[in-house]
Amino acid sequence: MTSDEALMLEFQGGSRAAFEELFARYHKPLLGFFGRRLNNLERAEDLTQETFLAVIRAASRYEPRALVRTYLYGIALKLLAAERRKVLPSGSSGQSPPEPQTSGTPECVLWVRQAIEKLDAADREILMLREFEQLSYSDISELLRIPVNTVRSRLFRSRLALKSYLEPPTRNDRAETPSAGEQYPGKRVIQ
Amino acid sequence: MAYLDGELPTDQATEALTHLEVCLECQTLAADFRRVSQELMAWEVTSPGVGVPSEINAALEERFQREAPKVISPRLEARVMTSRWVWAGALAIVCVAVGLELTLTSRNRNEGRSTAYPNMASIEQYLMPDRNAEITLARSAAPAAISSDAKILVLGRRGYETAIEGKNGFVCIVERSWMSPFNSAEFWNPKTRVPGCFNPAAAGSILPLTFKRTEMVLGGASKAQMIDSIKAGFDNKDLPAPGPGAMCYMMSREGYLSDALGHHVPHLMFYFPLTDKSSWGADLPDSPVTLNPQFQGGPEPITEFVIPVGKWSDGTAAPVM
Repeated sequence: MTSDEALMLEFQGGSRAAFEELFARYHKPLLGFFGRRLNNLERAEDLTQETFLAVIRAASRYEPRALVRTYLYGIALKLLAAERRKVLPSGSSGQSPPEPQTSGTPECVLWVRQAIEKLDAADREILMLREFEQLSYSDISELLRIPVNTVRSRLFRSRLALKSYLEPPTRNDRAETPSAGEQYPGKRVIQ
Repeated sequence: MAYLDGELPTDQATEALTHLEVCLECQTLAADFRRVSQELMAWEVTSPGVGVPSEINAALEERFQREAPKVISPRLEARVMTSRWVWAGALAIVCVAVGLELTLTSRNRNEGRSTAYPNMASIEQYLMPDRNAEITLARSAAPAAISSDAKILVLGRRGYETAIEGKNGFVCIVERSWMSPFNSAEFWNPKTRVPGCFNPAAAGSILPLTFKRTEMVLGGASKAQMIDSIKAGFDNKDLPAPGPGAMCYMMSREGYLSDALGHHVPHLMFYFPLTDKSSWGADLPDSPVTLNPQFQGGPEPITEFVIPVGKWSDGTAAPVM
């Protein structure tokens, strides 16, 4: 299988097929990247598209110094930051963003999302880049411009926190909250 | 934790593994972290959109029209080829280094190191276009005295199909990457080809897992859906427990287990209902037995022990571990 970097160079040289292969490889991962962070599938689609458009526009300047996936997520993080800057001031419009279309068991997804949302924002981003985008510590360090040791320590901290958030409720919790079984349905499905 | 993420250099990973084998607290923490990763897999984002959107097509057209040569210049072609060779060389070096340095337990250690396969590739990349080549590869899992009379299955678009009927109850098959642990970074590696020859007990009790995962992958199921379905399959007894004496030959020198392991070493695998690895002394110093984390409750309640052997199925000597 041709590496992403070789495909990128082929695209730079004029190969449309190389771009289409890169698109096929990264469309879903990038959509997941935006979808999990924005909870708005429509905007996630738009920003995924904008990421590829940025790649096309900057193709002539691409240098294979970093992995293509790191390069792509670098663009995606910048677009995400810009999106958040745009959205935050008008976030009180009263209209909830549409839910992303998710597969798998919806209760599980809700359960995982709620747990992740409880994490500190900086820790959450590191955890998501590692768990969902499967980036290495050094990639995350480079993208977020923080030391590798910080990546390592925050990842450990956020996993510990997430572990506790994903644990089933104690008997006392259930006694205090009659509907707790409905609040933690994911635990019935994924242990 | 860096050990679980495959982020430690080999020497430190070996130290971490040694510690992990004796530290119950760390074992618990490692299991917890693996479980957290597994639970996170439930959160997938999908879109019905297929193909390159028109806006991107338009941008591509504009770019290609603006930048004159549509063919790769000799210089660039040389650059691309050089890049490919650099990558191929690097991969080869990694494979050789890993093959020399790591033991069978390194399969677990390397989970998460590769980041190249976040999603399923096109189905074509997992299929072998030459049916006879797949039959030969499947047979290479075991010595000819066993595989020549074995039933041979090959992977088609709808699942495994019988290519050749057998006479001795053994079944030879080439497994694909989705038989890796669900949290493996190479779960979708389309290059993976793992020839195995299952004895009758394993053909009846372990191969159904291969069929189950394959059927779901080809049906477009997510990992979370697969895990749910497999768990349900064991709960309602649709999926069997390992039969007594279930084992598998994996002695092919032509297989490709993963980017990290390459052809690996010839070995035998033995299957049991979920048990502690200490029952076989697996992974203890100088023990030839290792625990393969392929299943181990994630979610299949099956323990798999591996023992390397000295020869490939064709009788030639295997590399020294």
